[in-house]
Amino acid sequence: MLETLIYGLTIGAILYFFSIGLSITFGTMQIVNFAHGMVYSVGVYLFITFLPWLGKFFPFALALAVVAMLPVAFLVERFVIRRLYGESLDYAIIATYAVLLIGADLIKWVWGAMPQPVSDPLRISVRFWEINIPLYRIVVFLSAVALFLGLRAFFNRSIVGKIVIAALEDRPGVRCLGLDVNKYFSIVFVIGSGLAVLGGVLYAPIATAEPYMGFHILLVAFAVVIVGGMGNLTGTFISAFVLGLVIAITARFWSQAADTMVFAVMALVLLKNSLLAAWRRLTGMAARTG
Amino acid sequence: MASPRPNTFPVAPLRKGIIARDMALIAVCFVLMALFIRLHWVIDFTIFCILVLSFDLLYGFMGRLSFGHVLYYGTGAYVASLVLAHLSSNPFLAIAAGVAVGAALAAVLGFIVMQTDGAPFALINLAFNQIGFWLVASGFQRYTRGEDGLNTTAGAVGFINFTNHSIAFGFLLVCLLLVFLLLKVLTLSPYGVTIRSIKENDDRVKFLGYNIFFYKWLTFVLSSTVAALPGTLFAIFYGFVAPTIISPFGNVEVIFAVLIGGAGNLFGAIIGGVVYKLMSNYLATSITRWEMLLGILLLIWVFKFRRGLTGYASELILRFKRKQGVEA
Repeated sequence: MLETLIYGLTIGAILYFFSIGLSITFGTMQIVNFAHGMVYSVGVYLFITFLPWLGKFFPFALALAVVAMLPVAFLVERFVIRRLYGESLDYAIIATYAVLLIGADLIKWVWGAMPQPVSDPLRISVRFWEINIPLYRIVVFLSAVALFLGLRAFFNRSIVGKIVIAALEDRPGVRCLGLDVNKYFSIVFVIGSGLAVLGGVLYAPIATAEPYMGFHILLVAFAVVIVGGMGNLTGTFISAFVLGLVIAITARFWSQAADTMVFAVMALVLLKNSLLAAWRRLTGMAARTG
Repeated sequence: MASPRPNTFPVAPLRKGIIARDMALIAVCFVLMALFIRLHWVIDFTIFCILVLSFDLLYGFMGRLSFGHVLYYGTGAYVASLVLAHLSSNPFLAIAAGVAVGAALAAVLGFIVMQTDGAPFALINLAFNQIGFWLVASGFQRYTRGEDGLNTTAGAVGFINFTNHSIAFGFLLVCLLLVFLLLKVLTLSPYGVTIRSIKENDDRVKFLGYNIFFYKWLTFVLSSTVAALPGTLFAIFYGFVAPTIISPFGNVEVIFAVLIGGAGNLFGAIIGGVVYKLMSNYLATSITRWEMLLGILLLIWVFKFRRGLTGYASELILRFKRKQGVEA
């Protein structure tokens, strides 16, 4: 069971890395950003390419992949996302989905369709009560917690973070102060994309890299964002770990059902209000008749 | 979702002559295509066009973008196959069962999904579609045979024999025309005006005293029920269904087809369906980077070509008429 818990926390950490950017674009621009999956998967493939060049040194290749994807993320924000701001939601979904498709096909073109495994960079296990836990997973989990604390500091202390938080609440209000909201969103968007690449690279040794990896994590990450509340950063953190645990525990008993369970949770959360209303109506009726 | 500028749409009266003319035009075009393109391709086009028409009711006319429409298509296909495999080889029974189960599923899920709007609506449909895909691929593996797919054969009823391609094509074309007729009548009726008003501004419709939840639910159920029909036809004609038929990735094809033709126009849906299928049949075999091309086309559509083929055609006709009016 401990193994399952650690696995769940690791998955939760990866989901957290990925979902922050998604949650911010959702919250600030009301845009469902499928292109996030493109940045994530192309970043992982760049990492796989960089790794042999840099003498198989994991952190360098990771940093290089993240840095290499930042301009790409900037271009996506500038030429796709920003042009769709304030338009109907459908156009944003379709355009960013198109970017995701292009990314997946680009990967198949450059790197081929075969899944590419990445080996565990630490190769050390820690023993807890007769169970071997790979140290790598614990490191991933701890880095997500560190990231959460770091982002809290960023959004509460730094001026960029404060402006973004204010704009999440009241975008016209911030604009009335004479601040160029788009510039700050652009910065946060690029940071979010960098974190997605970070999450993808950290996940690569646990899973394998394949061209459609962006699609799969997107589906689960949307569930994370919806369960956590769009644009709610603490909510995203909690829901990422809760859903990570849901995946791990379901997978322990029935591995194919893991993703489906996440969607069941998401459906429940989306329907929370209507279910509560129905329950109240039922109990209210019972109280009146009884 | 309120549109930023007030929009008007023409409310045309229902005229039998025009509908009959449109249906004849569609029939002639499909028969001509059947003569010049390989017949089994045109059969595939016909099935796809019915699916695109059903999606147009939900997206084009009511403005609700679903990423899970293929769920009902796949449900129809699997129910029809299961009926053929276990109950009876009568294709009409399979069609009826598939459509009925699709309608029942949509009626239940419609209560859930229609509580939401916008992004959550698109995503919760995607979630249900994913659940459906998983149920077919592994949850109910015992019945659906998972990834291996289900083989069935439909028997003949009278002269309608699905193994004969010409007769199957005729039957499918009749189905397409009937669906077109149904949707045409529906969208021109007061009901159609109501759902188009919901697309423009649902708050105003609510203020007029309409129960918009009922209209949204009804449209979802109608659209999904019609989507189950091509699924059953697919299962009967090909005699084989595999989980890819219900895979969430299929939604993009449908959305794209509606967009090419022009959302909110039944002719557009059929033109879009045919153009998409022609592209995917010819280009996908000759161009290896098919998905990339599709992505680029979608981007061009979003930024430069939003009204689709029929939107541009009608604008051209309008301009032409205006010019003539000035000269006369």
